[in-house]
Amino acid sequence: MSIRKFLTGLTAGAGICALAALAPAAAAEFDGVTINVMTFTGPQIAEPLQRRAPDFEKATGAKVNVITVPFSDLYQKLLTDWTTGTNSVDAAVFAPQWMVDYVTPGLLEDISDRVAKDEAIKLDDIAPFFREFSQKFNGKTYMLTLDGDFQMVYYRTDVAKDLGLNPPQTWDDYLAFAKAAHGKDLNGDGKADFGSCIAKKRNAQSYWMIISVASAFLQSKGTSQGAFFKTEDLQPLYGQNEAFAEALRIYSETTKYGPPDEINLDVGDTRNLFTSGQCALSIDWGDIGTLAIDKEKSKVIDKVGAVVLPGSKRVLDRETGKLVDCTPEICPHAKDGINHAPFAAFGGWSGGINAKADPKVKDAAYAFFSWMSQPEHSNEDVTIGITGFNPYRLSQFQNLELWTKAGMSEQAAKDYLGAIQESLNSPNMVLDLRIPQNQRYEQVALDTAIARLLAGELDIEGAMKDVAASWNEITDELSRDEQLSAYKSTIGAQ
Amino acid sequence: MKLFEPAKLGSMAPASKLIIYGLLGLWTFIVLFPLYWLIVTSVKLPIHVADGPVYLPFVDYTPSLHAWRYIFVDLGRDTFRPYLNSVIVAVLSSILAVGAGSMAAYALSRLEFRPRLISIGLFILGVAGTVVAVTLAGVNWRVAAAAGLALTLIVIRAARGVPSPELGNSDILFWMISQRILPPVVAAIPIYVMFQQVGMLDTHFALIVTYTTVNLPIVVWLMYDFFSTVPKDLEESAELDGASRFRVFFEIVLPLAKPGLVATSLLVLILAWNEYLLALFLSTANAQTIPILVAAQNATRGPQWWYMSVLIIIMILPVILLTLLLQRFIAKGLLLGAVKG
Amino acid sequence: MSELPLRSEPALTAEADRAGASSGERIRHITAVGITEWLDRHSGRLFVLPAVLLILSFSIFPLIISAWLSLSRFKLVTTGFELKYIGLANFRKLLFGSQQFHFLGTFTEISPFGGLIMLAGFGAIAWTLYRYLASGSISVLGLIGRLIAFSLLGGIVLMFGTTIGGKSQIGSLSTTIFYVTAGVAVQFLIGMGLAFLCSQKIAGRSFFRVVFFIPLMVTPVGIAYTFRMLADMKFGPFAPLWSAMGLGQFAWAANPWSARWVVVIGDSWQWIPFVFIVMLAAFESQPRDEVEAAELDGASPLQIFRDITWPSVAPVAATVVLIRVIEAFKMVDLPNVLTNGGPGIASESLTLHAFMEWRALNLGGSAAIAYSLLFVSTILCVAFFNLIVQPMRRERA
Repeated sequence: MSIRKFLTGLTAGAGICALAALAPAAAAEFDGVTINVMTFTGPQIAEPLQRRAPDFEKATGAKVNVITVPFSDLYQKLLTDWTTGTNSVDAAVFAPQWMVDYVTPGLLEDISDRVAKDEAIKLDDIAPFFREFSQKFNGKTYMLTLDGDFQMVYYRTDVAKDLGLNPPQTWDDYLAFAKAAHGKDLNGDGKADFGSCIAKKRNAQSYWMIISVASAFLQSKGTSQGAFFKTEDLQPLYGQNEAFAEALRIYSETTKYGPPDEINLDVGDTRNLFTSGQCALSIDWGDIGTLAIDKEKSKVIDKVGAVVLPGSKRVLDRETGKLVDCTPEICPHAKDGINHAPFAAFGGWSGGINAKADPKVKDAAYAFFSWMSQPEHSNEDVTIGITGFNPYRLSQFQNLELWTKAGMSEQAAKDYLGAIQESLNSPNMVLDLRIPQNQRYEQVALDTAIARLLAGELDIEGAMKDVAASWNEITDELSRDEQLSAYKSTIGAQ
Repeated sequence: MKLFEPAKLGSMAPASKLIIYGLLGLWTFIVLFPLYWLIVTSVKLPIHVADGPVYLPFVDYTPSLHAWRYIFVDLGRDTFRPYLNSVIVAVLSSILAVGAGSMAAYALSRLEFRPRLISIGLFILGVAGTVVAVTLAGVNWRVAAAAGLALTLIVIRAARGVPSPELGNSDILFWMISQRILPPVVAAIPIYVMFQQVGMLDTHFALIVTYTTVNLPIVVWLMYDFFSTVPKDLEESAELDGASRFRVFFEIVLPLAKPGLVATSLLVLILAWNEYLLALFLSTANAQTIPILVAAQNATRGPQWWYMSVLIIIMILPVILLTLLLQRFIAKGLLLGAVKG
Repeated sequence: MSELPLRSEPALTAEADRAGASSGERIRHITAVGITEWLDRHSGRLFVLPAVLLILSFSIFPLIISAWLSLSRFKLVTTGFELKYIGLANFRKLLFGSQQFHFLGTFTEISPFGGLIMLAGFGAIAWTLYRYLASGSISVLGLIGRLIAFSLLGGIVLMFGTTIGGKSQIGSLSTTIFYVTAGVAVQFLIGMGLAFLCSQKIAGRSFFRVVFFIPLMVTPVGIAYTFRMLADMKFGPFAPLWSAMGLGQFAWAANPWSARWVVVIGDSWQWIPFVFIVMLAAFESQPRDEVEAAELDGASPLQIFRDITWPSVAPVAATVVLIRVIEAFKMVDLPNVLTNGGPGIASESLTLHAFMEWRALNLGGSAAIAYSLLFVSTILCVAFFNLIVQPMRRERA
């Protein structure tokens, strides 16, 4: 094939695509409007956006371009695009905890009025936690929730039965379960499988897993105690104390019961491993629950159970830095003497709009997010694993039929939804970090230190020192007082 | 037949031939196998990957076009956009690079330039001064640039009488070619800042201009060698007849240099198509090119290699086609004079 | 600059008169001709100007700004961003401060391997310096240049010696130098070997030339992904091979050295063709008659190679190695996609390190790393050029 022919073919193809894209919709509201929506390369999150865009275009005439970037680039791309005045991105689906860095410089559009007037999204149906924390900042609404995020532990119910184990309640239980199951053939293919599969890849979404493990040791007196810093002076709890050391020890030990290349596995890989039956345990958001019922790809349909994040019988005494046993005063919310700290990791992917976009584009972008969030569409998407959308509406928790229709057995649905609801309603829930430049604390400092620990470049002592030093460096660079007051206001501390 | 002795003088022993062909064949396999694997993987279903590798379509498994359909239809617009951007940026920047580069190479090979060191020094001072004015003193960049340029030119002209060492053509050439040593990342950040200041981030223009500049040294290097081998007689007689240099260049020299031009254009086209780092820094959404799209798959897809294979295939297919065209010129040794020299 | 003869105004006027032009047309003609004359007179400068201006504004300009960026701290504010001058703090952080582990590596006691490197490195430097001083033809510039290059090389050798071995980690500077030296060595040896084989009297040479050229042009990002797929221990095409060898559970991405070697392998797959093509041309342009005469004389292939072939291809070989070294310093696509810089920071090249800093909005630190890369690569490349390439060229000439 000659160059000329190839180029002609390409141009012809381009022409056809262009014409198809211009296919007129019936005098629709947003005819001729194009929205650039940025999110990360999924398929999670990007997939439902791309899937529903054509219907949205048919209904309203607005074209939706979904632009994907690697997760580790998302925060910076949005921030620089909007602060430098480039404004190529009209709207984005990202982490609510980054709102603080986008709202303060006035980059996000205040959508309080639009949300109040919007009947289609049924605002009261959105669980109060997500409505208040994931959508609002300083009392005004800036984002629309599309997804609800809580981390949980998933376990194989059949493996538990075979080994005579209970679902893990503490992290020591977790390790024991993993150790017992490791090396056994869990999916009948004749090859040895793994006790625990946790996504540990650097520059990905792994750093929330260590927070899930550590929180139970660090916070016991309720959400406003905070799980990241001391509320007096913003000294990191992720530093040299027995609690963090124990958490790091547990986290490192899970690697022994995992796949050999676990430190290069991202959530996509571990979910795949779990649903193909090669793992007995995993820590994840709600995705495994819905992926497990995929008739085409899952080998563990009806074999998956979910529990609230395991807890600990000992917690950190912040004065001495030592681990002390739980007592009713120290752990008022303990269940059976075990302190659980369910972690609202990430907050749930939500849609926000660029304040400086064209007014018509802003309207169209809001309409698109509203379209995605409406119960008719959202209720379907949260039951499909590959969307990455997890339940966040009360109706999604209460309507079991939704889930049984999607393929979950009633028991599994109760189990799964129960775990999420228990996390949602827990008084000792851990709120993800929301202070300015939280992304630097978590994605840059914590992630790098953990990656180095797992790679053997640092030992536990070194990792603790590294995280605390980096966090203090960032705090001092910004302003300790401002960060402290921001921290206290986000967790509701006095 | 003796294995270790040549059958006749001047040829090789059968054993040696066997070894040589064997080794070369092994390397051919090493070169072609990854490409084969890409094609084969792009028509696999998820189950064909999850259960372990399969090698032959129709024999080991039934191929399916689902991945191709997904990328071209479901994700059609989001695939097409970066592809079109890549085409536009690569073609336009190659044209500009080859144009400006050949002109410079021609001039360097036919004329003698004697830039004075002092003029160069003054120019650098002028640029530095403009930068300082814009960033520290907050002067509007257009004003500062115009004023800086004017001031610099005036001072250079005034300093005409000042004695200063002169550089020659070879120094200019060396300077241009040494730009290749400059790691792009050093320039990428300031170029990013530069385009941000003028509000041209994430535009085709930014990418085109940057790619042109980055590839200019190669064009100058290659075309300079090429022009050096073109005899000057035709040009000299044309000049005696009174033709301007422009006419001589465009009507006589360029047609003579067509093979070299085509070879260089193909090479620059390929380099611009493959460019990753600069696009990474300078583009966000509107100007996203295909290497960025492919690299962004570095995410939570897990082993969804069928989609990635499709993307990689459509990314490298034009390059391979261009390469096959280009290698004809490599065979003729057209691009090797530079290295041998 | 040579100039074309300029036609004077009276001549122009006369020309216009001869053409019977009116006064208005005469002026236009003079102006038009005048402009063309001016263009022609300055044609040389105009020919080079676009290229020179573009390169100047995109290289001198950024160099200056980059230098200044590396001396400042970047902060995003409501109206855009602000840069605060902080002197050498960024460099201090890289060399002595909190990022030292990332840039130079973690220092540890000298392991036997490290000691060996130091011995060999310092020995080579000392010997080269001695040879130069004893050669009798020394110049101030040559001495200064050598001192700079050798101090840098000495520093690098010292860094390697004290960070390699055992549990300690080498930094992105050492990793980059590893990519350059190991990568170019592998590429040169295999590329030259292939070229040598192909230059023998065999059929199908043009076929090999075409096929071997292809990898050179394939987009590096695509190569990175393809190799990631190929190298997968469980799902890749070689998985049965790995399990047979007992490596089924080996995670190459989890071991720092295997991760680096995989990057080198990917890089070599792409660049061996370059060495191959160039060296093939060099081998093909050997003096045929000398070779045949030597063969007739009964010289062994080894002798022919050592006495005839190598001297004639050495300058080309040196240039090829130089070009590869220059390019290898800039590597970023492969480590980014293949390993994400992992495990930890083990396979981060300097460019990747700078990119990650930029992504974390630390523009000052990023510029500092980029400048260090520029510094190291320029000194080493120029030294290589002057100390190895030029002498070889002179020898041949």
